[in-house]
Amino acid sequence: MEYFDFIQLMAKILLVVGVSLGVVPVMVWFERRGAAWMQGRVGPNRVGPFGLLQPLADVVKFIMKEDFVPKNANKFYYYLAPLIALIAPLCALSVIPFGSKAIVNGQEVVLQIAQMDSGVIFILAFAGLEVYPIILAGWASNNKYSVLGALRGSSQIVSYEISMGLALLSMLIVYGTFNPHEMVAWQSENYWGALINPFGALVFLISIFAETNRLPFDLPEGESEIVAGYHLEYGAMKFALFFMAEYVAMIMASALISTLFFGGYSLLPGMGTLVSMISSQFGFGEVGVTNVTAVFQFISLCSKVGFFMFLFVWIRWTLPRFRFDQLMDLGWKILFPLSLINLVVVTVMVYFLNQ
Amino acid sequence: MSNNVHEIIKPKEDLNYSSEKKPIHSDSSVEAKPLPKVTIDGKTYEFKPGDTIMQVAERYKVHEEIPRFCYHPAMPIAGTCRMCTVEVEKAPKLMTSCSTPAADGMIVHTKSEKVLKSRTGVMDFLLTNHPLDCPVCDKAGECELQDYNFEYGPSHSNFKEEKRVYEDATTKKLSDQVTLNMNRCVHCERCVRFTDDVTKTNDLVMVNRGWHKELDVADERGLFNDYQGCLTDFCPVGALTWNDFRFKKRSWFLDKKASVCDRCSKGCNIEVHSDRDVVYRYIPVYNELVNGHWMCDEGRSSYNDLMDPQRIISPLLNHNNSMTSTSLETVIGEVKKVLKTAASIQVVVGTDATREEAALLKEKSTLAFGKPVTINFYNGHIQTSQEDKKLDHMLRMTDKTPNTRGVEETGLAPLPNGELSSEVAIIFRNGRAGIPKMNPHQKVILWGVWNIEEVKNLPTNNIIAVIPGLATIEKEGSFKNTDGVVQKFHPAIQHRGGAVTVHHVVGLMTNNN
Amino acid sequence: MGTINVSKKYTAKERAYLPAILIGMKITMKRFIEGFFFRKHFTILYPEKKRDYSDRFRGAHFISVDENKTENCTACFLCETVCPAECIHIVADEREEETNIYGVKKEKKPLSFDIDLLRCCFCGFCEEACPKDAIKLSTNYEMATYSRDEAIVDLDQLKRPMNGRHEKKDN
Repeated sequence: MEYFDFIQLMAKILLVVGVSLGVVPVMVWFERRGAAWMQGRVGPNRVGPFGLLQPLADVVKFIMKEDFVPKNANKFYYYLAPLIALIAPLCALSVIPFGSKAIVNGQEVVLQIAQMDSGVIFILAFAGLEVYPIILAGWASNNKYSVLGALRGSSQIVSYEISMGLALLSMLIVYGTFNPHEMVAWQSENYWGALINPFGALVFLISIFAETNRLPFDLPEGESEIVAGYHLEYGAMKFALFFMAEYVAMIMASALISTLFFGGYSLLPGMGTLVSMISSQFGFGEVGVTNVTAVFQFISLCSKVGFFMFLFVWIRWTLPRFRFDQLMDLGWKILFPLSLINLVVVTVMVYFLNQ
Repeated sequence: MSNNVHEIIKPKEDLNYSSEKKPIHSDSSVEAKPLPKVTIDGKTYEFKPGDTIMQVAERYKVHEEIPRFCYHPAMPIAGTCRMCTVEVEKAPKLMTSCSTPAADGMIVHTKSEKVLKSRTGVMDFLLTNHPLDCPVCDKAGECELQDYNFEYGPSHSNFKEEKRVYEDATTKKLSDQVTLNMNRCVHCERCVRFTDDVTKTNDLVMVNRGWHKELDVADERGLFNDYQGCLTDFCPVGALTWNDFRFKKRSWFLDKKASVCDRCSKGCNIEVHSDRDVVYRYIPVYNELVNGHWMCDEGRSSYNDLMDPQRIISPLLNHNNSMTSTSLETVIGEVKKVLKTAASIQVVVGTDATREEAALLKEKSTLAFGKPVTINFYNGHIQTSQEDKKLDHMLRMTDKTPNTRGVEETGLAPLPNGELSSEVAIIFRNGRAGIPKMNPHQKVILWGVWNIEEVKNLPTNNIIAVIPGLATIEKEGSFKNTDGVVQKFHPAIQHRGGAVTVHHVVGLMTNNN
Repeated sequence: MGTINVSKKYTAKERAYLPAILIGMKITMKRFIEGFFFRKHFTILYPEKKRDYSDRFRGAHFISVDENKTENCTACFLCETVCPAECIHIVADEREEETNIYGVKKEKKPLSFDIDLLRCCFCGFCEEACPKDAIKLSTNYEMATYSRDEAIVDLDQLKRPMNGRHEKKDN
């Protein structure tokens, strides 16, 4: 019994970590080629078919490069920063449900690594950790540009975490639960959260762009002013860790917004029919139907995450970077009041509807 | 020489072309009368009877010079090129200024419209057969035809036919020194008149007539005079070129600095043409007292000795019977050691040292070398300046060193029998003076301009050191030539090797002694 | 003195910002579709495809030769004189055999003719100065070398036949 629990837990961890890390090179490739297509260029097309092996070449390069540490850097924090950057979003992914349940070997497996009722709080906690690698990296590498990048990053993430939290809070009031499973269940029974609370969804979407330091909010990196910002002094695989962390954070953010506002793993329209067709075709029993449903739920979540990943890239190559004062104006003067009003409206609405 | 072969018809006025230095007008009876006056371009000038318009204009430097090809101040007047024509009032036609004697009250215009039109026409005619191969021609950049055509020539030629080509005389070697390209010739005949009247060798003639007129050597002796380089200097086009300089450098790259030739006791005034301190040629500079316009071929080629890679330009020290290059300080230190133990020291100053160097050595030798020394000068070609003789009627002298008289004046005596006698001898010479006789065990210190071959062929094996010195065109000083003219000169090029001045070496020897 | 304020008041639509974002996203999506589905791009895929420059382009030098493969250069030093970068180095010599179209012997030839491409600024003055149309600038722009020494090209590397006024291409 315990043996089985361990196996299924490991399997789920492997699946989530494997998929999220495996997506990174694809995303790197897509980001570069997608950028090229959007700008009328060709992009990397030399290594492998369609240039698909380009990330592999990059990895080889990262591994071969000299692993240098700047003089007078604080070595402990200097090494710690990229680790936190990668591990924090991976941990946050552990409470994202990627299916309702599967039945393996006659036993029920909940398709979520860590089943906890306070799942959303856990996610917020780890999302809040993302500010630390930026500050640590910027401070520990003993470089003025890095420190500037770190300061920008911390103030930006702190500012946008408030509106993100308020938007999240409004959805918690709607769903009446912290448990992501129950949120998805609520949405599959009723409507997607984004339809109920479009302002909340918009504020949340904008906030996660800022939280993941993606364009148009990539001021901590701001190449034109502060060279490369907080990871300026990082080379070789340490830089690659930051690079991967950015994409894992994007995956986590996409999964989070899908779960909160876009029905999570709930089947997309038409998928239910597909499930029943396949089940009747192969004559599956109750167990089979549950497992096929789980597979399609996973596909459903993946396609939603995929859309948001595409949106990240799309936005990146469409919009220019904000000026820092504009960024702060947007965060404090627009998103914060908007999310506050939204929270009040949603609260009142929920109170009257529940009457 | 051949001056007794032909009786040449000379112009009445003997012109100042050579070292005989006859004043243009020595007739003193003329000077008593008031001088006649001529007006050139609105200004009135006094002149001496017999002067041509050209000579008056030359003397007073009437704005720009009157263009000319055949006229040369040191040669008889020919009046063949028609380039120097000027307008003389009341004369029906334009007059050649080079051959028309100025007259009292004459009014001359050298820049009138008519004159300019005539010059354009003359240039058009001269260029009918000129190949215009300036890019190939060595004269380009210092060519009179080029300059005058730029100033006066037509922009388009009226000549449509094929140009005349001397197929046999396109690059004809007239001698080892001079190459003729007859296609470029404008038939000014300066070269023919030069051999007739200046060198009096008559070795160049014009053969054939008209269209086929061609320069050639007179007989089987070929071009043999000793002043062939002058042909290439005054040739107004690139027809005669100096083989040693041919295709070596374009004239516009050359730095031009005045100096004095040290090849013989005449001390011709020269212009050193160099680029980045590499000498490419010497050309003579007019000096009425010394060389007139000319210079001999021997002196003209003498820059090759300086630029010779065999010339020693770093201090050498005898190390186990082989000469090795070291620093000057090491060499001086070693020389001092040798001199300290020497029983007797002798200094031999070559007569190619400047007056200043000879005086310095005479004055400072005892101080510099630590003990009394005997000091003499040595010429190698003659004993004293009294024996100096002319080799021909122009410039060349028996004495092949430049400063015999100057060194004599410092009070030095000639080296007895031309033979070294002390235990250690310091021989200072600059490449021109002879090397004194010595026995095979003579200890010598060589100083000045030396060649590796000369050092190798010395009869002695006891060469202690070689201290390189500066050559004439690399240093400052003065020479007194065979006629008693003192000529001062400044460095024409910068020495790029390890050679130093005599003052520097004497200073090093004197210090810490 | 004083400053002129050229900024204008934003309209409500512009201040809303989101519509503008959507317009921008529409444009990038259009490009993305063109690139992804129709393979439309403006990039020249360099080593396979090369840009055709105008004949007036000033690229690598060459020295034209006549029908006997003899260089037209007469070592007149005009290019060396005019060169502002001082990258041309010529050594001249007597030419022994060849004659020109009039049967007159050519006098002078370059014994060596070196161009330091790393010093060259490709101003084309040498081409303008050349009286024999010998030195020309071709449209070849590929001059990368593995060492600095290789960038100094000599007469043998420079000699190439002419096609009209331009370098003769193989095709």
